[in-house]
Amino acid sequence: MRNASRYALLAAGVALALAYPWIVPNLYLLYAGVLTLMYAATATSWNILGGFTGYVSLGHSAFFGLGAYGTGLLMTRAGWSWIPSLIGSALVVALFAALVGVAAVRVRGASFVIVSIALVSMTNLLVQGWRSLTGGSTGLRVPSPFPDLNRGQSHFAFFYLFLGLLALVMLTWWFISRSRYGAGLRAIREDEDKAESLGVPTAAFKVTAYALSALFVALAGGLYALWFRSLDPIFVFSILIGSYMVLMSLLGGVRHLFGPLLGALIVAPAGEYFLVALGETQVHLAAAGLLLVLVVLFMPEGIIPAAARLVSRPQQASIREEAAG
Amino acid sequence: MTLLLQGLALGVLTGGLYALLASGLSLYFGVMRVVMVAHPAFLFLAAYLTYTLHTASGLDPLLALPVTVPLFFALGVAVQRLLVARLAPENLPMMSVLLTFGLALVIEGLLGTVYTGSYKSVSMDYATRSLTLGAVRLPYDRIVAFAVAALTLAALFTILLKSRFGRALRATIQHREAARLVGIRTERVTGYGFGVGLATAAVGGSVLALITPFFPAAHWAWIGKLMAIIVVGGLGSVLGAALAAVMLGVIESLVLVTVDATWATMMFYVFLFLTLIARPQGFFGGRLAQRF
Amino acid sequence: MVSFRNGVAALALTSLAISACGGAAQEAAAPSATAAGPVKIGISLPLTGDFSEPGKGIQEGYQVWADMVNAKGGLLGRKVELIFRDDASDPNKVSSDYESLISQDKVNLVFGPFSSRLVIPAAQVAESYDMLFVEPAGAAKEVFEQGFERLFYAAPAIASDHYNYLAEYLLALPADKRPRTAAYASLDDPFAMGTAYGLRDKLAAGGIKTVVDEVYPPETTDFAPIAAKIAAAKPDLVVGGTQFEDSVGLVRALQELGSQPRMAAFSTGPTLAEFPAAVKGAAEHIVSPVGWAVSSGFPGNDAFVKRYKEMFKTDANEDAANGFTVGQIVEAAVNAVKCVEQTKECQTKLADHIRQGSFETIVGPLSFDDKGRPEQAHMIQQYIDGKVEIVLPEGSKAQTAKLVYPKKEW
Repeated sequence: MRNASRYALLAAGVALALAYPWIVPNLYLLYAGVLTLMYAATATSWNILGGFTGYVSLGHSAFFGLGAYGTGLLMTRAGWSWIPSLIGSALVVALFAALVGVAAVRVRGASFVIVSIALVSMTNLLVQGWRSLTGGSTGLRVPSPFPDLNRGQSHFAFFYLFLGLLALVMLTWWFISRSRYGAGLRAIREDEDKAESLGVPTAAFKVTAYALSALFVALAGGLYALWFRSLDPIFVFSILIGSYMVLMSLLGGVRHLFGPLLGALIVAPAGEYFLVALGETQVHLAAAGLLLVLVVLFMPEGIIPAAARLVSRPQQASIREEAAG
Repeated sequence: MTLLLQGLALGVLTGGLYALLASGLSLYFGVMRVVMVAHPAFLFLAAYLTYTLHTASGLDPLLALPVTVPLFFALGVAVQRLLVARLAPENLPMMSVLLTFGLALVIEGLLGTVYTGSYKSVSMDYATRSLTLGAVRLPYDRIVAFAVAALTLAALFTILLKSRFGRALRATIQHREAARLVGIRTERVTGYGFGVGLATAAVGGSVLALITPFFPAAHWAWIGKLMAIIVVGGLGSVLGAALAAVMLGVIESLVLVTVDATWATMMFYVFLFLTLIARPQGFFGGRLAQRF
Repeated sequence: MVSFRNGVAALALTSLAISACGGAAQEAAAPSATAAGPVKIGISLPLTGDFSEPGKGIQEGYQVWADMVNAKGGLLGRKVELIFRDDASDPNKVSSDYESLISQDKVNLVFGPFSSRLVIPAAQVAESYDMLFVEPAGAAKEVFEQGFERLFYAAPAIASDHYNYLAEYLLALPADKRPRTAAYASLDDPFAMGTAYGLRDKLAAGGIKTVVDEVYPPETTDFAPIAAKIAAAKPDLVVGGTQFEDSVGLVRALQELGSQPRMAAFSTGPTLAEFPAAVKGAAEHIVSPVGWAVSSGFPGNDAFVKRYKEMFKTDANEDAANGFTVGQIVEAAVNAVKCVEQTKECQTKLADHIRQGSFETIVGPLSFDDKGRPEQAHMIQQYIDGKVEIVLPEGSKAQTAKLVYPKKEW
């Protein structure tokens, strides 16, 4: 019975998502929908590392930017068509992430966060400085993959492309969560030293989680490049994009499949709301900061567990959590 | 050759400033394993307060210190007791990053609201003159910055090494439980440690105001650099961070005069990764970095 | 289970809140033509973030223009209403702002945002809705190489032509007085580099040797070593492709390190009111390109300066003037073609009119080439006895003093 209602809800959610472009009254809301899906996809990808292992990377925008630039450069410089560019770029970024990961995951906690921040600054400097290849600060213009579509049709197409990516990332997360590999990653989160002594190959597990999460973020970045078609290093390699992924995951709940998606559905419209309501002055930055502080202080597990505690008896919470994850 | 000497001299002076700016970060990490992303934002908050006091009274910016240092000490204790201490200990390093990231946004937003986004600067008469030593020129504002940094760090070391509070603080850094067992009130000491860390931001902010114009979003450019310094120095080691700061200041300056600015900034991150590969605990620090 | 229900509920709420009627893509192509009511003008500006300061200046310029138009009875007898959105210096926001202004608010016109880096994504949106896009700040040459057909830059010249009068002046000097060497340092930014490199290319072609050519990323916080490099090369001419912070950093450091060029030119920084205080006495004789002057004497300029002062209690600046100029050009076009609707026909008529016409503005008469590039030149300003004077072009109405060269030591 419970399962039946669960599947019904899932089906309703999927149907709603699929119908969204047809029921919104104007292109702006479609555009906002594409952007929200992109955030949801990046946040869920981030959560492959952050949720399972507990390693907080503030620098996933490095992979987002590299994926975007890789796709754009393969198309403009190598003349590839968009699908091989997108996939090729994401694979290269994943390989790069694995190499960085070997150095990065040697350190835990705070040092790892610092490394991730440094990674964004580095990639930004590199792409901005390498003017002859990337166009540097003048940016990179990416050819449209669908030159025959007008703006609205292009939003349509990318809505479903991002939706597909989101589905792919969520399925991956779900598979991992049910696998021995996922159990190993969770063991790292709970107690890394103990996991190691129990025979979990922690280093290899962490590096693969890191690379896998980078792969999907790079795919999102590549799609973004194809959709937005105008890349500028200071905007794609931005610490703010990386921190959005963290904020969304955290707000929804990092231990839950639907956490980052829920977070994205709240944060993206809230950001717009703050801008519109508090526009004119910089108070909206302070409001966003305050929101983050409050979430960290009072809902560190995210909305999903907090809501679950309200709805159900507390002793069931942990079992429920596993089931949902 | 002259250019290299000039670069070296400037690098040492800038490195001294970096040491002051990074010292607070090392302290927070030492006492609480906290990465304080908001530290640069607090630096600029101090710079703005200095600016306000300076323009209102016409006094030398450094005379703002008797006001800003105690204020920031109290603010630091408050941040630790009211915010950081409330975080669940098992995930402290991660959650503290997000908490302080939020704080940085709040500070930037408030500075932007109060002071608007326009550039502010504090220019003293000595700001454009320099001391000539042979072929090398040492700008007075850099000398003042270096001297203030050196004095502050000396005071900090004296406190850490000689005072009862310093001993308690170091004991807390080294082994919290043991410190508690021998009767140190570690909660209070941790709060004060945070206060001292933020007090260094007050000094650092005044010095920054002297040498560069600033605007509310200026803190972003400093986060990566200062973080790299404390990792290279060894997380939690104030002395290590100071040495790494001077080293990186010199390297940055030499690369700038011989190659270009992009590579000069890149050096911070190159050394960060070299450190992680060769010696993850940092070149001067203990083993904290690997464990936390 | 619970996680699930929440996720779906949120999704449902979001789409319920917005699903009013169907058919998104089809509808936007044919915006409704509301004949009555105010003329709504949509503008996205960086009111927060890295570009917030110039963003604010432009906003004030737009406001002064709207205020003066409404005092005259509005556009085609309809009141002008400006709708501002803050893009927080983020290109995703710029796009979403224009997307919502055009498709949701159904604005009659859009005006441009600030910075070359934000103009391109914004113009992409406007272009795909066939909207006229006159902009006050996208001066980098790349802006005009995107194939936009309805984009016009409402200032005298694009970035690489900003120093044209100065280049002419220097190259016309007798050989013994002409600078022999020049050092260039530029922020890695399309606009700042455009100005410095425009001058560099002209001077290099005229035989003035480039001895230092530095580019620094926006993250740079320490300018002393760059200045040391310049000081060591002892150039006759120092050119900074700068914004504010770096122009102050460079000027101070050059002074400290004993570099005494015969001329110093910096873009943007010295045109801001905060500059002289930030560099103390060193501002004297620094030259900069400037697109607008208080003293220009162009028709309407005095009225603009006066009204600005009444509204904002400070003196008008170049950013505000650029915003005002956008308004002037669009106003002239609207009055000439007698329509102000979001429809493709009307927007096309407006764009065609602007492409072919010449416009009297507070920055002088403006006309545009087929890519939307303005065809005039920037003036050159110089600090003389602590005051900003217009020194080039020689013999123009705007000129208030003669260029001082070589400059006094700083």
